[in-house]
Amino acid sequence: MAERVGAPRIVPTRGIPYPSGDPALPPAEERAWRRELLERALRAVTTPVTGPTVFAGPTAP
Amino acid sequence: MSRVVFYLNQFFAGLGGEDAANVEPGVKRGAVGPGRKLQELLGSGHEIVATVYCGDDRAAANPEAIAAVLALVAAERPDLLLAGPAFGSGRYGVACARVVAAATAAGIPAIAAMHPDNPGLEDAPAGAVIASGASVRDMGQALERLAGAARRRLAGELLTAADGRIGKVARKNVRSDRVAAARAVDLLLARLEGRPAAAEVPLPRFDSVTPAPPVEDLGHATVALLTEGGLVPVGNPDRLESARATRWLRYSIAGKSAAPSGQYASVHGGFSTTWANEDPHRLLPLDVARDLEREGAIGALHTEYFATTGNGTTVPTARRFGVEWAAELRRAGIQAAILTAT
Amino acid sequence: MQAVSLGSETRYDGGTLAVSEQDVRGAFADDALVQVRASWVSPGDSARVVKLLDTVEPRTKARGGGGVFPGFLGPAKAQGRGETHVVRGVAVMAAGYLPRAQEAVLDMSGPGALLSPFGGTHNLVVEFAQAPGAPWERVDVAVRRGLLELARLLADATLGAPPDDQETVDGLGSEVSGALPRIGAITNLQTQGTFKDVFVYGRSFAGALPTFIDPNELDDGAVVSGQFGHPALKNPTYLYQNHPVVRELRARHGRELQFAGLVLAPEPVEAAQKELVAAHAARLCATARLDGVVVTKEGGGNADADISLKIDALADLGIPAVGLFAEMSGAEGTAPPVVVPPERGTDMISTGNYDEIVRLPAVARALGGSRVDVAGAAADAALEVPTAVLYAALSPIGAGRLRCEEVG
Repeated sequence: MAERVGAPRIVPTRGIPYPSGDPALPPAEERAWRRELLERALRAVTTPVTGPTVFAGPTAP
Repeated sequence: MSRVVFYLNQFFAGLGGEDAANVEPGVKRGAVGPGRKLQELLGSGHEIVATVYCGDDRAAANPEAIAAVLALVAAERPDLLLAGPAFGSGRYGVACARVVAAATAAGIPAIAAMHPDNPGLEDAPAGAVIASGASVRDMGQALERLAGAARRRLAGELLTAADGRIGKVARKNVRSDRVAAARAVDLLLARLEGRPAAAEVPLPRFDSVTPAPPVEDLGHATVALLTEGGLVPVGNPDRLESARATRWLRYSIAGKSAAPSGQYASVHGGFSTTWANEDPHRLLPLDVARDLEREGAIGALHTEYFATTGNGTTVPTARRFGVEWAAELRRAGIQAAILTAT
Repeated sequence: MQAVSLGSETRYDGGTLAVSEQDVRGAFADDALVQVRASWVSPGDSARVVKLLDTVEPRTKARGGGGVFPGFLGPAKAQGRGETHVVRGVAVMAAGYLPRAQEAVLDMSGPGALLSPFGGTHNLVVEFAQAPGAPWERVDVAVRRGLLELARLLADATLGAPPDDQETVDGLGSEVSGALPRIGAITNLQTQGTFKDVFVYGRSFAGALPTFIDPNELDDGAVVSGQFGHPALKNPTYLYQNHPVVRELRARHGRELQFAGLVLAPEPVEAAQKELVAAHAARLCATARLDGVVVTKEGGGNADADISLKIDALADLGIPAVGLFAEMSGAEGTAPPVVVPPERGTDMISTGNYDEIVRLPAVARALGGSRVDVAGAAADAALEVPTAVLYAALSPIGAGRLRCEEVG
């Protein structure tokens, strides 16, 4: 959806009800996952893009 | 005898060029400038009783100017307002569009003319704009088309593509004699049999956004957190809507390093909020954002977060929120923002 | 049913149905509920139901013939065979507050009545309240069970009476020789957790892979709705029992088409799962050698993604598909109607504009609550609301007649 409407920088997450989390993980791991998402977001805002660009990580979403 | 008012910018109303672009709204009696040709084309039976004008800069920047123009128009008790042709001129197009929008909202039928690429087209209501060429060389033809559209509108007819109508089209609910399931099977069979059949929903065309250049020095940048997950202080004190939101809210996070359950909750009606209410960081990553701030990965976290509910929001409303957020954040010196989307 | 009433006993008498409130309270007897009461609203009444939850058609199996609503009222055994007794023109409804439920309004007369499939049925509305201290999840379960029990109880009252009509429904229909196109349907079920969930054989369909199902099983209540969001875009249990696309395909079977498959699919909340479900559903359709598919959903823009992914996955397999989409064109009807259309298919049927404002007159009585908070008004007052608030008005499963037309 984000790509289709043209959002330039997109970080894929794991679920609509918990974009910056993952309730399947124990708390410490969930916070680590949240950290990884934010680091990807910071990488995205420091990367030049020309159109909708997805910033996925080495670990699958 | 129909009473027609003609809206022109400062140039076509004879007040001057760019030097007069800030001139206040005013009125001249009868037809002036291109209005004389337009009066000829309209013929007897329709009279341009007044010409209302405003400087393009003033009209494009000030809502009060549009209100003042509308007051001058309404004082003439017109049956119809015509505006333009603005051709490709952006400020003039925006002015014509907003004047026509205000008149339409006030119950005065109104038509503007401009080039299909004029940025003002977006500001006009549906069915109120006809196409002109890109430059003043097209004045003669544009006035002919405007006169034709004017006569039809005065006869109580809505403009169609045949009149050169451009811009938004309004879609209204109608009651079909067949239930949707039957129409779906009809359409499918027609496709399979190669018979011509129209789909019922047109494909949207989205404008494209030019991406912002990257932040150069993140270690000195201020970053804002945004959400459309409907996360608000528990109790929803400002009554954010759960669907079809018409507004967005801002809440201070100054001095906060966590968003505990019990202090925040989501009012979003489009997904199950159980998980977000259990741990609001699943919508507002404040804990980790503070870590990054403390470690110097970012210069600072903005003192507020913005929230709305992205559930059944219309595209124009969402676009407006985006424009307003951008303006607010830029004013506050923010360089980047992270939006959690649901 | 010609006439309905409340009486001292539940009984059916040639066209009239009386229901005992005691029987209603018996069906809803549960520690989690208090203040259970029933009222009838009939077509043409100056009446409104607010905070409307689920709606169910009274049905029962003949004695010894298995049971309706398998997994809820009886063991989860495959149904869809033998006799099923149906009370047409009647629905049982629950109305009241539940968390996460978005306020739904149903009018029995005036412009609102035409906009819902249930403006034309005699509706037995059961109101309730949460027992002090009872968790809302328990309230939800108790109300659902009560509604299904009541639906069966009303139909039981008709056992032994000669039916007004009889219909034989044969699964997907007998094999048809000749070159008729094989048409199927994919029905997406909303699976977003508590209060926004749909059940198949008594279990949430969340996490399931798409599956074929014999449409007859829907006739016996194999699919039950526990989904209380998105009033206009809701598929109540009644519309799974009376699936409009299934009805259409059955009616045309052997004449214009072969009804060749019904697939149920969940609407996952995770992007990766959405794509897997879409690809899998398309593979099932290819396996069944379908020539064309009608895809429906429940919900708003999020659910549009599930339809569009399936249409695209089917297109990739060379199978044309039509999707039913509600439009979100704004109050003026000028905004882009669908935000997540298919990319490799363009065949969208419109079920109307969600945002168009409807003006409803004041009514003599309102059930389900004293206010319509989304309109900031008393429940029986004149209301100005978007079509989005009217119960099943944009029926995404295809039961409605609304669509959009360009003006001017």
